[in-house]
Amino acid sequence: MTPASRKIALALTVLALVTLPWWSGDLYKLHLAALIGAYWVLIGGLNLVVGYSGQLSIGHVGLLAIGAYCFTILAGPHGVHPALAIAAAGGLCGLCGLLLGLPSLRLPGFYFAMATLAFALIVTEITLAQGDLTGGGIGLAVPSLPAPFDTPQGSYWLILAIAALVTWLTWNIARYTWGRGLIAIRDSVVTAQAVGVPVFRAKLTVFVASGVTAGVAGALFAVLQSYITPDTFIFELGLFFFVCIIIGGRGHILGPLLGTVVLTALPELVAPLAKLGTFFYGLLLLVVVLLVPEGIGRVFEVIVEHFRPRKPESHVVSPDLDRLARAIASSPSDPR
Amino acid sequence: MLVALITGLATGALYACAALVYNVMFSTSKVLSVTTGHISMLGGVFGAWFISALGWPVPVALIGSLVIGAAFGLLTDFIAIRRVLARSDEHLWLLSTLALATMVQQAAGLWWGTEPKPFPRIIPQDFSVGLADQKYWLPVVVAILMAVALEMFYRRTLYGKLFVAMSEDAFAARARGIPTERIRALSYVIAGAMGGLAGFAAGQLTFAYFALGLTLTLNGFIALAVGGLGSNLGALVGGAALGILSSVATFYVGGEYHQTISVGLLMLVLLLKPAGLFGAQTVRPV
Repeated sequence: MTPASRKIALALTVLALVTLPWWSGDLYKLHLAALIGAYWVLIGGLNLVVGYSGQLSIGHVGLLAIGAYCFTILAGPHGVHPALAIAAAGGLCGLCGLLLGLPSLRLPGFYFAMATLAFALIVTEITLAQGDLTGGGIGLAVPSLPAPFDTPQGSYWLILAIAALVTWLTWNIARYTWGRGLIAIRDSVVTAQAVGVPVFRAKLTVFVASGVTAGVAGALFAVLQSYITPDTFIFELGLFFFVCIIIGGRGHILGPLLGTVVLTALPELVAPLAKLGTFFYGLLLLVVVLLVPEGIGRVFEVIVEHFRPRKPESHVVSPDLDRLARAIASSPSDPR
Repeated sequence: MLVALITGLATGALYACAALVYNVMFSTSKVLSVTTGHISMLGGVFGAWFISALGWPVPVALIGSLVIGAAFGLLTDFIAIRRVLARSDEHLWLLSTLALATMVQQAAGLWWGTEPKPFPRIIPQDFSVGLADQKYWLPVVVAILMAVALEMFYRRTLYGKLFVAMSEDAFAARARGIPTERIRALSYVIAGAMGGLAGFAAGQLTFAYFALGLTLTLNGFIALAVGGLGSNLGALVGGAALGILSSVATFYVGGEYHQTISVGLLMLVLLLKPAGLFGAQTVRPV
């Protein structure tokens, strides 16, 4: 695709997304789109952790729950302005990410996955135990957002804007030195260390960043749910985020985005899949891992390359004799 | 207090069983399978189904549970391990076993129902015996029996020595003519039968519950990490320590922070002694 047609495609997508409230038809589809946006705010950040640096965090639902409860408690009983409450949710989850990441990011793969799983279970346990603060098993009603964002359309546009911001941020991180360093960590820690990537600091930084986006996503998710209980944040939800990234493809941004859209929308639009729910995600994950471990995005690349083969670039390696002669001539110590 | 200690010991024995299952799988494949707890879950659920719904006698139901466990172990190797190990990406086995575990848990939930159902009596015993009840001592006996049998197997039999050889160096074992693929499948069958037995023996303690698998995977792993990866004695000690600690803490603090305390133990041990109590030191790969 040429840069011009890419820009046109981008502009058309943005236009379609912004005008979605007028052509989506019913409010339920709009709600679904807003939900996808809220999920993407989390998954976009998680993508840097799972897709780029290869740390398999299956417990991000814990951070989502902390963000949701933080927003609800601050904006509800304490009367903090919702914008401030969203920022506070992001900040608190960034802090939680730091506290969780400091010990657990030093652990090898399976240990880290188990630590995040345990974190998600602990958060559920604490939300149930601290009934005075979180309403226990009964849950809490979530306050609505202030004036321009209190309608379904308004909250959709807010979520769209935040999701676009997150996409832009992760894209910027991914395509420069940082992203390359993260991919190096994913593929070989020893090599990354050898070429000077600060392994632990890089992992911790993206983990904290994913914590911040998870907190913001939690606040937006709570607004969309309008009532939250510990049962809203079951472990299967964390698994869902994880599956979206793996199915979309590790080391891409567009792939996980498509994965999020398809996996959220598919069970809603195809009724029999909704009953199977998590079983379907498990099956999809198994099929993808066994057949295309690089993710669905890779399948598209293969198809495109099949129809339009990429021309192999040839790099000619030849000695620059002139420069060599000049270097020898100007060399001060002439070995004789 | 005594009740807390004995309940803790019984739960800890179940965790130790899960840790032993991890060990057997890990010895031949270097894979920590997420399906470990789900094997025991299947053992418990199918045991309850065989006895209550089908009316099988207990010994037959026990054999049925063992077969189910072994079959699921083999299935794990066949679906989730074999193809993935050939690709040599270290993260993929975590994903494939996680996917399989999720599918099994959901299938069990859809078929068996999401409510815990009681497990029938295995040995005829009056319900009024209190702490001498079979639900407390059965898991402990099974855990110790399994650990002893495993040690005997490793030390006395040729197949056991093949397992040890593969856990030391799989490539060298292959070079010496050991059919590593077949030995790995055998280890998964053995691990599956052990998990099925553990789930069957602990059924009265845990009930036949579809979501048991994930908790057991996590807690068995904590027991394993505390005791030291690869050590059977460590698995027993770690399981007992975890069970007793979390049950005594529940006794003093209340049941709400059960999980928090067990993970606290894990983090403490990993910070102080990363290889676990009885684990071998690993060399940093460069």
